[in-house]
Amino acid sequence: MGIMDKARIYSPWLYHLHCGGCNGCDIETLAALDPRWDPERFGIQLVASPRHADILIATGCVPKQFIPMVKRVYEQVPEPKVVVAIGGCACGGSLFYNEDPDNYAILGSPDLLIPVDVYVPGCAPKPEAIINGIVQGILKLAAKKKAAAPTQKS
Amino acid sequence: MVDMLFTAVTMLIMIPVALFAGILYVFLFRKLSARFQWRVGPVVSMYKDLAPLLGASRILQPLYDILKLFGKDTPVPDISRKTIFIASPYLAFICAFLAIFFIPFPGVPLLSTMEESLVIASYLLIGAVMFTILGAASSGSPWGAIGARRDIEIFLIYELGFVVALFSVGLVAGSLSLWEIATRPGLPMLILNPFAAVLLFLVIIGKLAIKPLDMAEAEAEIVAGPFTEYGGKYLGLFQLAKAFLFYDMVALFIALFLAPTLNSILWLPVYIIAVVVILFFITVMQVLHPRFQIAKAMSWYGRWVLVFGVLTAMMVLVLRFYWVV
Repeated sequence: MGIMDKARIYSPWLYHLHCGGCNGCDIETLAALDPRWDPERFGIQLVASPRHADILIATGCVPKQFIPMVKRVYEQVPEPKVVVAIGGCACGGSLFYNEDPDNYAILGSPDLLIPVDVYVPGCAPKPEAIINGIVQGILKLAAKKKAAAPTQKS
Repeated sequence: MVDMLFTAVTMLIMIPVALFAGILYVFLFRKLSARFQWRVGPVVSMYKDLAPLLGASRILQPLYDILKLFGKDTPVPDISRKTIFIASPYLAFICAFLAIFFIPFPGVPLLSTMEESLVIASYLLIGAVMFTILGAASSGSPWGAIGARRDIEIFLIYELGFVVALFSVGLVAGSLSLWEIATRPGLPMLILNPFAAVLLFLVIIGKLAIKPLDMAEAEAEIVAGPFTEYGGKYLGLFQLAKAFLFYDMVALFIALFLAPTLNSILWLPVYIIAVVVILFFITVMQVLHPRFQIAKAMSWYGRWVLVFGVLTAMMVLVLRFYWVV
């Protein structure tokens, strides 16, 4: 493993994308990044711009008005990137998702719009579960590097 | 000829030394602020069961961040002024990088023996911040523009203090060569003119965007301020510039105010202690203060820079005319 691959595992930066919903998962996500668990020990940092991020944390179900923003934020995260969906809504739309008749306001989970790599179910998931999800994301990020390389060139 | 060769060799050796010093300063800053906040911070010795996956130590965490950024895709927004947008991170990095050669290290004069090295170093340190502002202003992002505007407002104040602090020391020492100032016999300038030291410290917290004055970068408030549109290797260059700037500012403080400590390499332990003390005070500033509003920061910062600037100038008059140095 080269130093660049190591650096990718050693310094995953998170961007927190709140798609919509009740804020419960956002509170738990921020709780997972607080001094009690302190992921900065392992170089995990919350960044403010999607352009700085490696891991996109998506919480909540997507309202229809928010569809372009979700797509845009996903595209702004530079490759290689991983999406971690946190909470029941982000995993499958939960009680807001309705196929027929269609919910007039809510589209459903973000994986209908963007490829999601890791799902962390729960309403809301505990910080331990979220950290576990982020760790799974880091492992995927490490594996993703070689697969992503040829598509970048084209 | 031998002198030139020696200078060239020391300059080559200085590049990795300054890089690792800058990285370690950033690490120490992060670790100390973490400890102040009852966190662990980047771990020095990794937990045994995690070590195979996560590495033995995170002392080089800032370096890993930079390397990772260099390995990522680099987005350039369509609405930006592409030439300036792409050139500014390189120029900011080059300015911060070149400044290391004009600031002496214990026993290593480098290019600081030049007659106007103080002026050159000050211009390079201005450039490092100025190109950050330029890049943000050309990014086409409203958040970048707001960040650039805030940066300029603080920039105007601390550059005033920077010039006063630098030239007050130059006036008392009777030289603009940093090497002559740094190896001056007699009492260190920290004791002769403590106001100038406080002034330069205020400048350092402004220049490095330490907490009460970090509203330019104001994370989450205006996205990431000047760095909003930067990603990948350009952000890596800015981070690298920041590491070098950290080294530059701390080294400049020691060169100006702790006069004989740079005479020989044997002073290295004292130099390291001085570095740790300065970083400790910088971290205390960071953790004690919340972020100021821009207007309040202007009045607070302006007031203290003015007070210490005037005190410094008066002290210089006293020292220059009534004190045989």
